[in-house]
Amino acid sequence: MPADIRSFFGGKSSQGSATSPTKPSAKKETPARSKRSRKVVDDSDDDDDVVVTKASAPKTKAPSKAKPEVPEGEPTTTSDYFASSKKRGRPPKSDNTDKDAKSSSSTATRAESPKASKKSTERKNTTDAESRRGAKRASALLDDEKQGDDDIFATEYGKSGKWDDDYKEEENDDDSDDFDLSVKPASGARGRPASKKRSAFDEDDEDVVMEDVPHRPASAAKSATSQTQRKRKSEAVDKDDDEFEVTKKKAGAGGKSKKPRASTAKKDQPESKEIQDIFDSIPTIKAPSPPPPPDPDAKPSKFVFGGGKSRDPVSGSADIPVGAENCLAGLTFVFTGVLDTLGREEGQSLVKRYGGKVTTAPSGKTNFVVLGSDAGPAKLNTIAKHNLKTISEEGLFELIRRLPANGGDGKAAEKYEAKKKEDEEKVQEMAAEIDAEEKRKAEQKRKESKSSQMTKVSNDSKATNVDDLLWTSKYAPTSLNMICGNKGAVEKLSSWLKNWRKSAQANFKKAGKDGSGIYRSVMIHGPPGIGKTTAAHLVAKLEGYDVVESNASDTRSKKLVETGLLGVLDTTSLQGYFSTSDKKVDSGKKNLVLIMDEVDGMSAGDRGGVGAMAAIAKKTQIPLILICNERRLPKMKPFDSVTFEIPFRRPTVEQVRARLLTICFREKMKIPPQVLDSLIEGTHADIRQVINMLSAVRLDQNEQPGQALDYDKGKQMSKAWEKHIILKPWDIVGKILSPQMFSQASSATLNDKSELYFNDHEFSYLMLQENYLRTKPARANNYEGKEHKLKLLELADNAASSISDGDLVDRMIHGSQQQWSLMPTHAMFSFVRPASYMYGNMMERPAFTSWLGQNSKQGKLSRYVKEIQGRMRLRASGDRHEIRQQYIPLLWDKLVSRLMVDGKDGVEDVIDFMDSYFLTREDWDALVELGLGPMDESKVKLETQTKASFTRLYNQRSHPLPYMKASNVLAPKKAPKEKPDIEDAIDESDDDEVLADESKDDEENDEIDLKKDKLIRVPKKSAAKKGSAKSSTSAKGKGKSKKANEDDFIDDEDDAPKPKKARGRKPKA
Amino acid sequence: MALLVDRHRPRSLDTLSYHHDLSARLRSLAQSHDFPHLLMYGPSGAGKKTRTIATLKELYGPGVEKIKIDNRVFQTTSNRKLEFNIVSSVYHLEITPSDVGTYDRVVVQELLKEIAQTQQVDLSAKQRFKVVVINEADHLTRDAQAALRRTMEKYSPNLRLILLANSTSNIIAPIRSRTLLVRVAAPSEEEICTILGASAKRENWSVAPGLNKRIAKESGRNLRRALLMFEAIYAQSEKVSDSTPIPPPDWEALISVVAKEILEERSPARLLQVRARLYDLLTHCIPATTILKTLTFKLIVNVDDTLKPEVIKWSAFYEHRITQGSKVIFHLEAFVAKFMRIYESYLMGMDF
Repeated sequence: MPADIRSFFGGKSSQGSATSPTKPSAKKETPARSKRSRKVVDDSDDDDDVVVTKASAPKTKAPSKAKPEVPEGEPTTTSDYFASSKKRGRPPKSDNTDKDAKSSSSTATRAESPKASKKSTERKNTTDAESRRGAKRASALLDDEKQGDDDIFATEYGKSGKWDDDYKEEENDDDSDDFDLSVKPASGARGRPASKKRSAFDEDDEDVVMEDVPHRPASAAKSATSQTQRKRKSEAVDKDDDEFEVTKKKAGAGGKSKKPRASTAKKDQPESKEIQDIFDSIPTIKAPSPPPPPDPDAKPSKFVFGGGKSRDPVSGSADIPVGAENCLAGLTFVFTGVLDTLGREEGQSLVKRYGGKVTTAPSGKTNFVVLGSDAGPAKLNTIAKHNLKTISEEGLFELIRRLPANGGDGKAAEKYEAKKKEDEEKVQEMAAEIDAEEKRKAEQKRKESKSSQMTKVSNDSKATNVDDLLWTSKYAPTSLNMICGNKGAVEKLSSWLKNWRKSAQANFKKAGKDGSGIYRSVMIHGPPGIGKTTAAHLVAKLEGYDVVESNASDTRSKKLVETGLLGVLDTTSLQGYFSTSDKKVDSGKKNLVLIMDEVDGMSAGDRGGVGAMAAIAKKTQIPLILICNERRLPKMKPFDSVTFEIPFRRPTVEQVRARLLTICFREKMKIPPQVLDSLIEGTHADIRQVINMLSAVRLDQNEQPGQALDYDKGKQMSKAWEKHIILKPWDIVGKILSPQMFSQASSATLNDKSELYFNDHEFSYLMLQENYLRTKPARANNYEGKEHKLKLLELADNAASSISDGDLVDRMIHGSQQQWSLMPTHAMFSFVRPASYMYGNMMERPAFTSWLGQNSKQGKLSRYVKEIQGRMRLRASGDRHEIRQQYIPLLWDKLVSRLMVDGKDGVEDVIDFMDSYFLTREDWDALVELGLGPMDESKVKLETQTKASFTRLYNQRSHPLPYMKASNVLAPKKAPKEKPDIEDAIDESDDDEVLADESKDDEENDEIDLKKDKLIRVPKKSAAKKGSAKSSTSAKGKGKSKKANEDDFIDDEDDAPKPKKARGRKPKA
Repeated sequence: MALLVDRHRPRSLDTLSYHHDLSARLRSLAQSHDFPHLLMYGPSGAGKKTRTIATLKELYGPGVEKIKIDNRVFQTTSNRKLEFNIVSSVYHLEITPSDVGTYDRVVVQELLKEIAQTQQVDLSAKQRFKVVVINEADHLTRDAQAALRRTMEKYSPNLRLILLANSTSNIIAPIRSRTLLVRVAAPSEEEICTILGASAKRENWSVAPGLNKRIAKESGRNLRRALLMFEAIYAQSEKVSDSTPIPPPDWEALISVVAKEILEERSPARLLQVRARLYDLLTHCIPATTILKTLTFKLIVNVDDTLKPEVIKWSAFYEHRITQGSKVIFHLEAFVAKFMRIYESYLMGMDF
């Protein structure tokens, strides 16, 4: 940008004004505002030349007037640029007024703020209402004639045109040029004044004036003498002048100036649309400059810097502006990238606070994209596609500062307004409904109570006192359409219940439309507080069923479920048969429905309850509605395919909001919708909780009237009521590695970060270890080329060594020392610290930790090695590692590659070789699996024929066996009846138990014998003999017999496997 | 049909082909009536086990060669069942307690007591005591070693222990003081050459002295390894000459690949690839320390001399951590990351 301008102005600088003077003067002039002007200077540092030229150019040119259009245009633009950058925070009027007063003679410092123009137009056109339109039109016309500039320019143009046509033309040209050059700041500045004008900031004006008063004389004098000078001076001077003018205007035009303002303010509402359009367009222009999709990062940041506002005054989040209430109403925002001062959360809540809407992905409906550094490419693409307005954080602040309450009369705001009205109407409607309902009830009750006065049903009247009820029951829905959300689910439930009798007649064979006809029971599941129980009760009531309910407050063990419910299941309701004197007996009312609430609450105390419930659900004679929160729990498995599943989902915010507004209305509470929204979001659409919260708020208000619930309090409240959700490992790692977590703007404390670890302390660090190399570390972003590469390695190394440190801590925790108090330390070393190096955008989805899988694979393979080593032990002397590292490569050669090379011919040799080392067919497979690198399993290509013949031949032959598996040998140990086996014998200390166990052992033996039969036939018999022999001895002295027994066992062993080599083993299947 | 290394294994002290003075001492010990507990230590492939068996034969006669394997099940206090293999003859028992990991104490306590409390059954036996050979004694946990010490004294009439270890550093002092330390040094390269030559002659294979020398060097004076390599070469190539290449074992080949990858490119993405390979090695039962050591030596050949001390330092650092920590992959990865960083900054000539 600067380069462009410079080149553009190249001619001018030659023209002459002294560069050096301008700069110092600017500095001098601006002491009061030193900061702001400072920035400007800084900004322009690179553009010093430009600045100078700008300042000087206007001077010289102004008198000469329009002819050299280009040059003139430039000056205006630059000044514009400055003004905008400098004045961001400032009220725009100064610039504008400038024009008013001076326009004719003045160099027409470009930036005629819309406000000024407006004012002027107003002055001219007595019809306030029409004035804007007129201006606009005029501007439009002019635009057409000239260059078709943007609206803003047009307005300016129009206004200026009135004053001094030639001049304006120039201006206009200049402006447009600038704009073309894509001077962001300029546009921003323009947008700002416009919006401000909108809101009719009388106050601001006044303030400014006050401030400037002291300057007045000087500035006035200056202006009088030479405008050129003025220009040269920094904007501050300009401003002063402007202000002066304003005051003048005010003083002079007195009533006039005020009037228009007032009128505009009033106008805002009626005028709305057209002006809104203008308004909308104004921010639009200002916003768009940063976006270009290719490399948006650099530009916005530069822009912010140039704007000069952000850095100096920033000092953290201190300068978050305070805007008019609801000023962002109806606007949709998307946040992307890392913002400079705000955390994303903060930004979003800021937007929400002022009534704006935040979505996560940009779309055509998005009004603004708030862009930070490092925005995701996908988002940038959409932005480019939809040509969305992108603004920086600063821009957002500006919006908030400028926009009037309720979004003024912008289009979006209007829509919002309309919607709001609609909502309100709906709310009132609903409230009326409830009123009616209540009245009806009261009526009924009165009647009842009248009739029952004699019978003294006093408790009834007590119950009727609606105000005593909890709000949750007071405002419980009384008809299906009052249920928030889940319409489909409720309908399903309702139709199932309606058709239940019919299905029962068909013996639950006909599936029906939605397939519910084959189920005797339904299972409603969903998170708490979304109306499952309510819906079930309501549907039952509406379908004319009487409800029998059982919930977690009842014990529901298997026995109780079976016996207790039996009485219910086969009966009909008698409620219809009895009634108070004046009520008719309703014999149709005999249907029962059983609602089992909180089924997943069946706990340890309810042993077998779930199973029994499932059994009942299969054959119940009355409809059965089961309700639970977590359907996926393993203990809910018995209900699979037994029940008709109706999942309830959380209602959307909109669905809940209407209902809540109704309640607020009825309770005469005033709570702004966005506060309600935040409450709903905070509770994850738990309607019950929100209602309870409202109830609590109400109580507070009763005690301390006047304390309205505002946005912040609402946030606080929902935070306090927050249900803690345990994050899944994927989310944990995604969060800790996200660039937001560690950015400077992040508000997450060290504690918050380590808290993430504790969401799942077994997985979080493993997940981190798996994924920390898959990020694009934000810390290396400032480096280029080779340095970047090295920085990456440095970060990776730091992270890896920190993880290594963490493992040592882990050993202390899980090792023999069990020092669990070290867990926070472990969290730091293995989780937070590595993330602090490697945080950045994830390049891919976080992967699940591979450590677990690898570890169990290692376990499996090392069992193979152990087995192979065990078999080879008679021949080879090496330990496991020697076998794996030295023998297996050669064995692989001799066994696997031999078969690959020689095919069937090698089979005999291979089998011989295997026999010589006592290896089995399974060991051969294990060997294949144990191969690595060049011997990898995937590289083993064996002809199927070879393999088949290998297997066949191997099975045909008998093979030597080095030893019997312990499981086989177990039988002889068991045989001695008194001593089931060695382990037991060792454990048992008292003899009585042994005797008592005898019978049991017998049973066990039988089972085991069946299993062992094949291999053990002979040894078992002998063992049995021995066992009996032993039993006599053991009866005498148990202590000794233990040992003796073991010895015997060893002897047994000797008998059995000794002849192993000679003995052929049965071919294994 | 067995492998060369097992077929040509010497069976008596007389036929052992090197360390003759050691053989003589063992023989005289065996012939004395006062056979002590032994702690044989030396690198793997030096012939500890062979020498032990030969000594046992000297003690008991050929009976010790009739061995069998028992498979026993032990139960820990936490009711976990441990399968355990025991190799035994009538006169001796050979166990590897480290097979059951941290539960080795249970095995040592139960088994040794059981054996020690019974006398030699065979009355014709030359000795009254049985011998228990404990393999991988340096992998015994502290607890298990502590359990050993009293047993060694209390049951000495019935029991002699021969501990086999790679080094004495992991063996607690009380045990060392109760045993006679016997160092079995690795055979020199010449000795290995001679043995290889003799084996070749027995098999009627053509002898290539140059090749033997290379094998001896390559094997790191591990005789078992040398013999296996020797056989592998003869199995793979018909004609063997002095220049026949020696095929590396599979895992070593893979580690060379890893080293090459590391040297080729240094970046987090490459580190991820290397991690996958390291996992591969670990799952296939290659000990982490072996991996680290091999990798270090493969890397070191290719880096500048000035870097070597640094690399070795970190290698040692992380090897120590491998034994201290529990998840070895973390430390291996940290080493690789460290190496990449050092190497990269060296190549770029800057310090970070």
